[in-house]
Amino acid sequence: MTSWRPTPALVRASLLALGGLAGAVVLGLTTLAVLAAPFVVVAVMGLVSRPRHDPVLRTRIDHHRLHEGQGTASRLDLDDATGVEHVTRVAAAMPHVATRPTHGASGSLVADGLPTLGFSPRRWGRRAVGAERIGLTSAWAGWRWGPVDMPEHGLSVLPQTAPYDSRAEVPQPDGLVGRHRSRRIGSGTEFEGIRHFAAGDRLKRITWPVSLRTGELHVITTRAEQDAGVWLVVDGLRDIGVSGGIDGAASTLDLTVRAAAALAEHHVRTGDRVGLLVVAADGARVRLGSGPRHLHRLQGTLARVRTEARSVPPERLDLGASTGSVVYVLSPMLFTPLVDATAGLQRSGASVVVIDTLGERDGGADRLALASLAARMQKIERDARLERLADLGCPVVPWRGPGTLDTVLHQLARRARAPRVRRA
Amino acid sequence: MAGLRIVAPGVERPVLLLRALLLVLPCAALALALPEVPHWLVVGLVVAGSVTWASWPDHPAGAVVLVSVAGWWAVHDVLDWRVPVVTVLLLAAHVVATVLSYGPATLALDPHLARLWLGRGLLALVPLPVTYAAARGLDPDLAPAWTWTVAGLLVVALLVATARLTRAEEE
Repeated sequence: MTSWRPTPALVRASLLALGGLAGAVVLGLTTLAVLAAPFVVVAVMGLVSRPRHDPVLRTRIDHHRLHEGQGTASRLDLDDATGVEHVTRVAAAMPHVATRPTHGASGSLVADGLPTLGFSPRRWGRRAVGAERIGLTSAWAGWRWGPVDMPEHGLSVLPQTAPYDSRAEVPQPDGLVGRHRSRRIGSGTEFEGIRHFAAGDRLKRITWPVSLRTGELHVITTRAEQDAGVWLVVDGLRDIGVSGGIDGAASTLDLTVRAAAALAEHHVRTGDRVGLLVVAADGARVRLGSGPRHLHRLQGTLARVRTEARSVPPERLDLGASTGSVVYVLSPMLFTPLVDATAGLQRSGASVVVIDTLGERDGGADRLALASLAARMQKIERDARLERLADLGCPVVPWRGPGTLDTVLHQLARRARAPRVRRA
Repeated sequence: MAGLRIVAPGVERPVLLLRALLLVLPCAALALALPEVPHWLVVGLVVAGSVTWASWPDHPAGAVVLVSVAGWWAVHDVLDWRVPVVTVLLLAAHVVATVLSYGPATLALDPHLARLWLGRGLLALVPLPVTYAAARGLDPDLAPAWTWTVAGLLVVALLVATARLTRAEEE
């Protein structure tokens, strides 16, 4: 239970005032009376300014769901501010959370408004913000209430929506409606050609300039527009490197999750159906879906990805994906079983693209150090795995943000249009 | 040594300045006694206490420093121009420590709070010239005997009132 208690400043002033007056009277030291006189004023004013009520404090944050790098404010509600002159708030330091003021201490006179603390999560995931200590001080710094510890608030931090855009079409769109140009002719807006009018053609398709020039009825043909099924496979088995949040170096899991978030947002905005499979100890799977609510669900699932040492790579990736789907496997490809599972997916007929999220890693200054040697050996093994995948016709591209997949998707689309011989 | 830091990260310049003032003011109040040099024990107590007080403005060392300086001047029964100056210096130290005690060292100095306490400090100085003039002008030997009795009772009453007011509420 917290109550109003005298501050050290009041105790000091009272000691000087009373000690000085007592000394002056009892010992006849008039100098003491002069020295104590100002402290009498400070002590008396401090003593009489004792607040009569215990305040009720509550803190709240403006947002509970943010993207990394965005900010929210923690506000203080004070029920009865009678007699309270000053409020001090000191936020506890939290990993991957920046505060404003920088060191988390904020204070102001109640007359100027209650102090606000700003929080900005610097890394995706589940973060706790708002754990803080609050102290109230009465007029003339006579009495102090607290400091009291306030509970923290949970904050779901979604991966940063890295700028990503692609002008490439997905190779084999298979849906009913969407923005990708279909291989079939249909009632879209994408121009395909002009041909003679045939029975059954709609009148609104007649191109009158060509018909008048040639003297025969011609119609414009267009391609249908379709959506595509896009699967994102996120490797959450290991996290290599140290994450410095959005301001610093990115770990492999940072790159993976941010790339997946960027791709999900791009494809959902394009009108595609997007699904997600998280390969981790507590893996998750989100079915194909579209729309803003589905995008939120995907981002929320990505924000909950955690690595654990006990994670084992799966033998196969069971997506239930149809032949027309595009599968992006976002992984640093450090485990052979995951490479085999990806190859299996490729053989099943899906258009698989491996997005390498290992990033640029510094091997260390000492090339002969054990860690440096181990890293190099691992890299050689990894390169061999990636080559094996490439031999199977599965493109591997390092994640580089906007345009990462343009060339690869163009090639896949061309390959999909080429006639193919099916084995019995 | 490059890695040695005597100032915690995040402490702003105005706060550092106030802490330096807190270190200097009580020492200056004692230094006004020069050329008479106080006993080395008093000097050591005031300097060490000032360092501690500047580091932790809520520390009881602050009261020890103020009492030591005031006690030295009272014991030597000096009542010249230096006493008001010493009083101003001691009150300034108290006000600086109070302003610093509102939060941790990383709490930025609020200009409104600083202005408020500057005004309060000046207000607290109002009785100083009156008391100084009275102490200088009045002859204690000529005062009636009941004056001391009344003054004694007044001090006791103030002590009791302070003790009652500062007692924590029943929990």
